[in-house]
Amino acid sequence: MAYKELTMADAIQPGSGNDKPHPASPKAFAPEDEAPLREALKRCSPSTFEAAIQFRKTGNPEHLPAVVIGVIERFVEPDLRTKLKDADDDLRLIEDLGIDSLTMMEIVILVEDVLQMSINNDELRNLRTVGDVKTFIDCKVRGLSLPKPTKFLPIEQIAAIMPIQPPFLFINEASVSSSGANAKYKITGQEFFLQGHFKDNPVMPASIMLEALGQLGVLFLLDGPLAEPGRVVSPSTIFFTGCEGVRAHRICRPGDILTLSIKPKRMKMPLATFEGTIRVGQEKAVIAEEITLTFGYAEAVVAPVVNGSEHAGLKGAEAVAPIPLRAAINA
Amino acid sequence: MPKVYITGLGFITSIGNDAAGVIESLRELRHGFELYPPFQKPEIPVKVAAPVRGFSMESTDAEDWTFPAPYRMRREILRGMAPHGVYAWCAMQQAVADAGLSEADISNRDTGLYAASGGSPHLMGHMLQRMHAQGVMKCSPLGIVASISGTLNFNLVAHFRIKGASCGFSSACASSSHALGFAYDELVLGRQKRMFVVGAEDGNVDAILPFAGMRALSLQTDPDLASRPFDSARDGFVGTGGAVVLVLETGDEVERRGAKVYCEVAGWGQASDGYNVAISHPEGHGLQAAIENALRATGTSAEEVDYVNAHATSTPIGDSSEAKALKAVFKTPASRPAISSTKALTGHGLSLAGAMESGFCALAIREGFMPGSAHITTLDPACEGLNIIRSTLPARPNVVLNNVSGFGGANVCLVFNKA
Repeated sequence: MAYKELTMADAIQPGSGNDKPHPASPKAFAPEDEAPLREALKRCSPSTFEAAIQFRKTGNPEHLPAVVIGVIERFVEPDLRTKLKDADDDLRLIEDLGIDSLTMMEIVILVEDVLQMSINNDELRNLRTVGDVKTFIDCKVRGLSLPKPTKFLPIEQIAAIMPIQPPFLFINEASVSSSGANAKYKITGQEFFLQGHFKDNPVMPASIMLEALGQLGVLFLLDGPLAEPGRVVSPSTIFFTGCEGVRAHRICRPGDILTLSIKPKRMKMPLATFEGTIRVGQEKAVIAEEITLTFGYAEAVVAPVVNGSEHAGLKGAEAVAPIPLRAAINA
Repeated sequence: MPKVYITGLGFITSIGNDAAGVIESLRELRHGFELYPPFQKPEIPVKVAAPVRGFSMESTDAEDWTFPAPYRMRREILRGMAPHGVYAWCAMQQAVADAGLSEADISNRDTGLYAASGGSPHLMGHMLQRMHAQGVMKCSPLGIVASISGTLNFNLVAHFRIKGASCGFSSACASSSHALGFAYDELVLGRQKRMFVVGAEDGNVDAILPFAGMRALSLQTDPDLASRPFDSARDGFVGTGGAVVLVLETGDEVERRGAKVYCEVAGWGQASDGYNVAISHPEGHGLQAAIENALRATGTSAEEVDYVNAHATSTPIGDSSEAKALKAVFKTPASRPAISSTKALTGHGLSLAGAMESGFCALAIREGFMPGSAHITTLDPACEGLNIIRSTLPARPNVVLNNVSGFGGANVCLVFNKA
C-alpha cells in the first residue's frame, strides 16, 4: 500500500507554537476554492462549512473538531445524530454510531478533501472513538506524531495488568487513551462490604468509589502513554498519596452502573495527579478534583527470553514488572 | 418434474411504473418515447429515448436522487447502488407485495435471486474519471459495487437478505431471459422453491449512446416513429431503462401459500449463432434453433403457440433475421401464431428486455389480450406471411413464446402456458 506522506506537515513551520499566524494550509485559500468546498460540504451543517473555511484560511487547528464532527454527523443516519450532539470523546464509531468501515472510508475521503491532507489506510484501523478521530486529525495537521489509540480492555486484561485483584477490583471494563481513562463498574449487591454498609440498606461506600477512581488511575499509569522506551511503570510502586475536593452527590446502590472517568492533570515522577468523576447514567455521583498517586519505573523486559537465562532482561537492581506488560496488551 | 409458476410481478418501465399502468399502455399501444432532454444537443444525432418517469438520477451522487413518493431508501442502501438498482429495488417491493410474500418467505435457503444488467457505465465513467483526476485513493469506496456488471445482484441479494442461489447473467440483450431460464431450472431441479428474476438497466445517456457508434440506434426525431419493428422504414432501436421483477415458485409453494398465479413457466431453450460478435445470423439460424429447442423441451407443437412476443428491436438486420427464424419454425399458414414486438412501445431495454417482455407475456395471459405491434406503416416484405398483429387482440393466449437475441449470437426462447 503506497503511503502518501501528509502534505500539510511540509508546510508547517517548526516552532510556530501558538503565535499567530497559524501554520498555513498547503496553499493559500483562494476565493475560487470556496465553491468546491461548499459543494463538498453541502450535506453538512452550515457551521461545519464555516469551520472548514476558517481552517483553510487561517490554518488554526481550533476549527478542526467542528469540521471533523460535522463530517461524521453527515454520514450518520439521522436517528443517531442526536448522540453526536452531546457526545463525549468516548463515543464509539462502530458500536454507537453504526459507522462501518466503508462509511469510515467515505468520511476519510471527505476530510482529506476538505482539509487538503492525505490519510493512510493503516492509520485508520486504530480510530475507534470520536476522540480518536479528533486527536488524529489534530496531530496530522500540526505535524505531530500520533498518540496511541484508545484501547478497550475487558475484565480479563484488566485483571492481568493490575496489582489490585478481586474481590477488591472495582472496574469491569475500561478504555485508556492518551487523554485519560474511562471504566464501568456494576454494583452487583454481592460485594462483601455491602453486608455491613449498611444494615439492611446496601449503599456503595463513597470511600470505595474513590478507591475505584484510584484504581482507574493505576490502570492509566500501567497501560497509558507514560511508558518510555525501555521503561514501564512498576505495579508494585503505585500507592495512594492524597485527594482534594471530594464530593459525593448521589447514593449508589446495587444495580447501578458506575461510569468512571479520570483525566491526568499533572504527571511528574513520582507523582501523578488526576481529576475524576463518577456518573450513573447522566447523574453525577462523585467528583474528586484531585487524586494523587505515587509511582516508579521498572526496567522493562526488552525482548522475550528465548532460551535459558531468566535474567536476560534485567539490567538494574529494581524489580522487573511481574507481567510483561507490552506483550500482554498488544498481542 | 415440479411445475413452475409466475406469482408476482413488479414494473418500473417507460410505459408504466406498476402493473396497472403497463397493462393499460400495452392494451392501448401507448408508447414511452420522448425527445429525451439530455440528447437535445447539436453534437448528438440521436434524439429519442424512452426514459422511466418519476425518478431523477442524473447526478453521480446517489443522495441527490429523487423517487416517486411511495419509495423511501436510506443512504446505507443507496450508497452502493446504480440507478437501475433503484428501479429494481422499487420493482422488488411491488413484486413482493404482488406475490404476498412475507419476510420469512424471502429470506431463506430455498429462495434465490437471479439478475441481469449491463452494469452502470455512468457511474463507472464517473469513478474512473475521478480516479484519474484526483487519485486512486479518492475513488468512492462503493464505486465498484455500484457500477460493475453484477451491481444489481450484489445490492438486491444483500438488501433483501436473500439466502438461496444468487447469480448475475451477462449475455447482453439475452441476459435476463437466461436468468429466467436458469431460475426455472433451479426450481425444476428441486434446488430452490422460489426464485426472483430481475432485469434492469440505467437507460441513461451513458447506457444508450455508445450504441450509436455501431449505428444501432434510431436517428428518428419523431417519438411516434422512432421504434417500429417489422416496418420497412425502421432505422434502429430506441434505448430504454427501468427494472422488472418476476417471482417464480414451484407448484408446491403455490399450493402451500395459496398464491395467485399469472401463468406457468413451461420451459425454455437456447442456441447460439456462432457467427458474428454483434450481428444476428442473417437467416436467423440460432434463434430458430432456440425456439425449436424450447418447443421440444416443453413438448409444445408449433401449432399450439398462440402468441409470440418477438425480440424485434427495430434494427434492419435483427428484425428480418427473426422474421426468417419465425417462418422456419411456423411453416404452415395454419400454425402461424399472432406475433408482435412490444419494443415498439417500450424501446429496447437491453439486459432488461427478456424479463420485461416475459412480464408482459404473463400479464397478457392473465388479463386475456395480445398486445399489437405498433407503428407499422409499411410491413417489411421479409415479414410477408407472418401474422404480425397491428392492433391489440382481446383474446387470451394459452401458449406464449418470448424471444431474445444478444451479442455474440446468444438466443433464448421462453415458453409460458395458461395455468
